[in-house]
Amino acid sequence: MSRPSPANCAQCPAHNVANLVKLGVDMANWDFVVALAGNPNTGKSTVFNALTGLRQHTGNWPGKTVTRAEGGFSSGGHRYKLVDLPGTYSLLSASLDEQIARDFLLFGRPDVTVIVVDATRLERNLNLVIQVLEITDRVVVCLNLMDEAERHGLQVDPRRLARDLGVPVVATSARYGEGLDELNRAVGEVARGEVVCKPRRLAALSKRLTGAVDRLASRVEAAYPELPNARWVALRLLDGDERIAGAVRTGELGRLDAPADPLDPEAGPAAETAAAPPPAAAESIFETVGELRWQVGKDFHQKLMEGVYTEAARLADRAVTRSGERPRFDLDATLDRLVTSRRYGFPIMLLLLTAVFWITIAGANVPSSLLATLLIDHGHAGLKSAAAALSLPWWLDGLLIDGIYLATAWVVSVMLPPMAIFFPLFTLLEDFGYLPRVAFNMDRMFQRVGAHGKQALTMTMGWGCNAAAIVSTRIIDSPRERLIAIITNNFALCNGRWPTQILIATIFLGGLAPAYLAGLISALSVVAIAVLGVVLTFLTSWLLSRTVLRGEVSTFHLELPPYRPPRILQTIYTSVIDRTLIVLWRAVVFAVPAGAVIWLLSNVSPGGMSLAERFIGWLDPFGAAIGLTGVILLAYVIAIPANEIVIPTILMLIALVTGAGGAGTGVMFELDSIAATGELLRGGGFTLLVAVNLMLFSLVHNPCSTTIYTIWKETGSVKWTAISALLPVGMGLFLCFVVAQVWRLLAG
Amino acid sequence: MPGPLLALLVSLAAVALAVLLLRPERGWLWQAVRALRATERVLIEDALKHLFDCEYRGRRASLMSLSGALAVSGDRAAELVEQLAELELVTTDGERYELTAEGRAYALRVVRIHRLWERYLADETGLEPGSWHYEAEHREHTTSPEEAEALSASLGHPRFDPHGDPIPTAEGEIMPPRGRSLTELAEGEVAEIVHVEDEPEAVYAQLVAEGLHPGMRIRVLEVSPRRIRFAAEAEEHVLAPVIAANLSVVRLERDQEPTGPVERLSGLAVGESGRIAAILPSLRGPERRRILDLGLVPGTEVSAELGSAGGDPTGYRVRGAVIALRRQQADQIQIERMP
Repeated sequence: MSRPSPANCAQCPAHNVANLVKLGVDMANWDFVVALAGNPNTGKSTVFNALTGLRQHTGNWPGKTVTRAEGGFSSGGHRYKLVDLPGTYSLLSASLDEQIARDFLLFGRPDVTVIVVDATRLERNLNLVIQVLEITDRVVVCLNLMDEAERHGLQVDPRRLARDLGVPVVATSARYGEGLDELNRAVGEVARGEVVCKPRRLAALSKRLTGAVDRLASRVEAAYPELPNARWVALRLLDGDERIAGAVRTGELGRLDAPADPLDPEAGPAAETAAAPPPAAAESIFETVGELRWQVGKDFHQKLMEGVYTEAARLADRAVTRSGERPRFDLDATLDRLVTSRRYGFPIMLLLLTAVFWITIAGANVPSSLLATLLIDHGHAGLKSAAAALSLPWWLDGLLIDGIYLATAWVVSVMLPPMAIFFPLFTLLEDFGYLPRVAFNMDRMFQRVGAHGKQALTMTMGWGCNAAAIVSTRIIDSPRERLIAIITNNFALCNGRWPTQILIATIFLGGLAPAYLAGLISALSVVAIAVLGVVLTFLTSWLLSRTVLRGEVSTFHLELPPYRPPRILQTIYTSVIDRTLIVLWRAVVFAVPAGAVIWLLSNVSPGGMSLAERFIGWLDPFGAAIGLTGVILLAYVIAIPANEIVIPTILMLIALVTGAGGAGTGVMFELDSIAATGELLRGGGFTLLVAVNLMLFSLVHNPCSTTIYTIWKETGSVKWTAISALLPVGMGLFLCFVVAQVWRLLAG
Repeated sequence: MPGPLLALLVSLAAVALAVLLLRPERGWLWQAVRALRATERVLIEDALKHLFDCEYRGRRASLMSLSGALAVSGDRAAELVEQLAELELVTTDGERYELTAEGRAYALRVVRIHRLWERYLADETGLEPGSWHYEAEHREHTTSPEEAEALSASLGHPRFDPHGDPIPTAEGEIMPPRGRSLTELAEGEVAEIVHVEDEPEAVYAQLVAEGLHPGMRIRVLEVSPRRIRFAAEAEEHVLAPVIAANLSVVRLERDQEPTGPVERLSGLAVGESGRIAAILPSLRGPERRRILDLGLVPGTEVSAELGSAGGDPTGYRVRGAVIALRRQQADQIQIERMP
């Protein structure tokens, strides 16, 4: 017998390395649809990325994929469309995620369903596998995280599991690309029908339940002879699942041709196009349901879950062997005890967060000023001279370059560097698994105000960028707590507002103290503002959970995943692409019109007076009443796209009103010297009261338009978006008003 | 410009007024809305409900009980009964009131809607138990029969409300009352709670605070005219007879011991283990389903693995994963301690 040569290997159909062509989002004309299901935090997204070559954000968090993701790949001459379903623990409850996943499996009828399973938690993951096997035969189980299982001294036998489940089982370590070729091949074989699955069906139900289920299943089968999952439909009907009952009634269940995409809301209810319901058969099904439901009792759901888990435990027991000796030093457990200990838990957390912020602020200084020099100093001047050479009309040159370009350049140079540093750092902590521990430690405080411990994380994220933080509230899986986190996130002082705080504190508050204390006083006052933000977060959360959000569904559970070595390069790549650039893009989209508006307001002068001056004139009395100025109010109205441009806008408006210096009508600018800035501001009517109120208002006012847009995208509700936008403005105006009155009262 | 003090006072007064006006449930605005809603129809339906309730529980309805239940004057109650008689919903000989068949059917429709709403509020919202009855009280008058059927279907056609009362069917059938008052039990008897009466509110609040709920098994330890002492699960409860009368129980055989001294999951210290014995009905709706989905089903081994720095959620190892649950959740899971 000759030894196989590498060349032979390459010709073998099993050699798939070159066969796999990652198609990204190019999914035209697929041959097979593959659904990707699995528990949260099992590496589903990693498998998805590995197969499609896409870079879906992954994190060591349960419940990362909330909206669906689709991608394509081609292998062995066939094109596959891969649909990443939301990670769910089960398919039997009514949560939105589960409904999406369940409906796709049931009505979308994928050719193959890949179930990603965490090898270290086989028993719990088999719960979902057993449920999916009740719905569809064509399943490949991807036994992922084999590396981690090994590390924990677990041996999982994929062949044993495959025999017991009756479907192919492939062992993988998707993070390191191991086993993906085999997975790919198994998917192909099942898709093409070369491997026929004979899945095991749920057996561990009590006799009474089994009898009831079988009786109903035969009725369902009689009505829909083609249906592959009559037993599962029977289970759902007994559990009182209205969605399934509806599908039985309308005949949607029986349609085998081109089912409507249940994930696509625009496709409309498939029921409308469905064939008429088979009348008598459906009737007899519901008669049987009505009769049996009284027999099975009200704890049916619990009994069902008990049955599923009994079976899962039995199967896992057969497939997993634990190596006799546990490692003497269990790093995970030791680490966990340390970071959650009463004595060290909070200090460690503060230390790590401080480090993250220090690195962000220190690290962002240099690239920020580089970008500012490049885009604002040189870029702006360069464009101006180019425009002059082309002899553009003054208004076009002003609108495009002084307005639109400058606003955009400002946003980019202030926003990009801190975000590009902060998000990867934060993501590394997330990837490692530390962040769930923070939520775990902080939950008690948030619980008291009716919120979720994970809000500690979305709040921290908000100190980087509110818009990105709003997206990150997806990790909170309870509707009420998520809304609270979204509405209150604005009180986390985002990095667009830090510079305003620091500048004003340095000029007006630091100036009050003797020189050697000035730095400390201004730093402390900025920290005080940030702390006030935290206090307001708690206060508002408490108010919301007791008023408008009273009675919203609220659930709590928090999974503490095992620690995983972070993958640094990949994390940096995905977090820059995923979070930073998306947020930056949205900010730019909003900065463009704002730049135009700012320039136009200062340069359109009907009757010899610019619009800006008129508005300021109208706003001034109101501004004075609440201890602010008309300039500040107008600046906050027109600088809504980004907090970064508030100070340049204020400076420009003051220069416009007072006629002092500046960089030209409608051109935003900043001064190099802090003393000169202070002088300009004082000339514009800034007093100590105005400075303090500006700092307060900068913390408590409406979110920037990028954030508002993101809130609308995430909640899909005008009502919650409006509340998130208007509540803080109202609070801010009121706060400034009270401070101003008290101030005047005390000052006599 | 007015002086700062005046401005402050005026604005603070405005805020106080807004709070008084808009405060949920007790705010003036809500009270006004409620007063407007208390129309003739609402009063008639409430009166029918009261008469039905008396009939169902075998008590005698009187003008006094009616005016008490509806919080109206005696004259108004008398007026109402006259109206009901005119509508042929009630017959009366001046002292006794009886529902006609039509009146009973009407009352059952309202009761059905009320209990469906209570079931809905308990299972699908985060409202606390004390608010279910109140909410259902005013939703029952504005729900059409079609809406009620849709509600029933969406809940999976429940048979009992969260207090243990049977829900009448759409055809107007209702199970006869189960059980007897707790006060009728003798010392040493064992029984299961089947119903917790939700009116009056203060009494119900006390029963909820004691942690008593349908499905609980109890053993009576002491009966005296002043108090009833009984053991439920691992705890002892002492109630005044007036309050105990709001609990309905069915007797169990004396040897059907309430399942031993039962501990709660929250009682496990870090490092200790137990096996889940039962998940109490007070863990409801989406929260209950989530707990079950996570694999916390009766028979599951659970060990407390990690306390948080803040003190509250505790990390439990369940089927290989560490899941953090709050004390208030772990309180509702009964376990048997394991060595």
